[in-house]
Amino acid sequence: MAIDEAIFREVQRTGGPPTIRLYGWLSPAVSIGYFQHIDWEIDLPACRKGGVTVVRRPTGGKAVYHDDDLTYAVIARENSSLFPPTILETYRVISQCLVQGLHRLGLEAILTAAGREPGEGSLAASCFSAPSLYELLVKGRKICGSAQMRSRGVFLQQGSLLLSFDPEKTCDLTLPHREPRAGQVQALQGKVTSLYEHLPRSVTREDVCKSLVEAFQTGWEVSLAEGSLTPEEETLKDRLLETKYSDLAKED
Amino acid sequence: MKVFPDDLLYSREHVWVRVEGDLATIGITDLAQEKLGEVHSVELPEIDSEVERDEPFGAIEAAKGTVELISPLTGNVINVNEDLIDDIGIVNSDPHDTGWMIVVEINDLDELDDLLDSRGYHDFILQEVEGE
Repeated sequence: MAIDEAIFREVQRTGGPPTIRLYGWLSPAVSIGYFQHIDWEIDLPACRKGGVTVVRRPTGGKAVYHDDDLTYAVIARENSSLFPPTILETYRVISQCLVQGLHRLGLEAILTAAGREPGEGSLAASCFSAPSLYELLVKGRKICGSAQMRSRGVFLQQGSLLLSFDPEKTCDLTLPHREPRAGQVQALQGKVTSLYEHLPRSVTREDVCKSLVEAFQTGWEVSLAEGSLTPEEETLKDRLLETKYSDLAKED
Repeated sequence: MKVFPDDLLYSREHVWVRVEGDLATIGITDLAQEKLGEVHSVELPEIDSEVERDEPFGAIEAAKGTVELISPLTGNVINVNEDLIDDIGIVNSDPHDTGWMIVVEINDLDELDDLLDSRGYHDFILQEVEGE
């Protein structure tokens, strides 16, 4: 999260090139949306007990349990020729590349045509409980959740592509316990899927990354170059880690 | 075509300012709320906190995504619109009036010179559209 924001702030400051990051998590974590109330929408004691890190995303949306997922971030100026100017159309363009990336792996996903309604019960606290517009479904179930934020002419879109899915942990950590747990778990199972439900484990995380990179390159007709953080981004990342993205599950 | 009131000033970050003496009432423009779609939450600074020109002073979560609110002025926050707690919908339905967000005591009135009048904002929007 700190790296994503550091790149985002530096693109704001310097107008740097569009960036795509694909990453995993060092240990299981829950990310909560910018506006989510930590005590109401996740089970903080359960996160602490399970050694699950909790961080707040700079983007909005619902809580996400990150374990066996591939997280992506796309950062670019709003007036970049690669992206349409509106938020929704940017979602669409990025999601189309994700669809193509999955297609290359032999997994057919489609983009949702209708968005989620706000306030639809206790499942609404979890990102994967309902699809938003232009998010990815495989056989009617959500496989990738995304959220976007914009500021000073730059956007940051973050998303989580599920490689495997643990409905019980997702339920225990990210949903308010207003309904019987078994019902919540069952409801999540019906709404969420993951890559390894459809593809063999011989498809590695690296294969998925490679396929997505190829899809982004083809979709945007660009050649992506691997990069590393600039010294300014490193410094900012360290500062953000200390001030903004420390583990919220840690007790003082 | 949207109407942008003549008695307001506008920033290039789609924030409006109503100036009364050294006080500035601040909100988002009708164009901004339309781009965002239905607003779900707003995070605003606390009374007595400082906001700085061109720096974020809050954020909005809406149907289409999250945006930071960029302050058009530097100053001390003296009031925050508490009506937004009860009815966030007024940001969409009445952005230029009852959907205001904060009132700031302006540090430096010269900063107002960088803001646009309604005609200037209108032209700026057209340039943005053409640039897209």
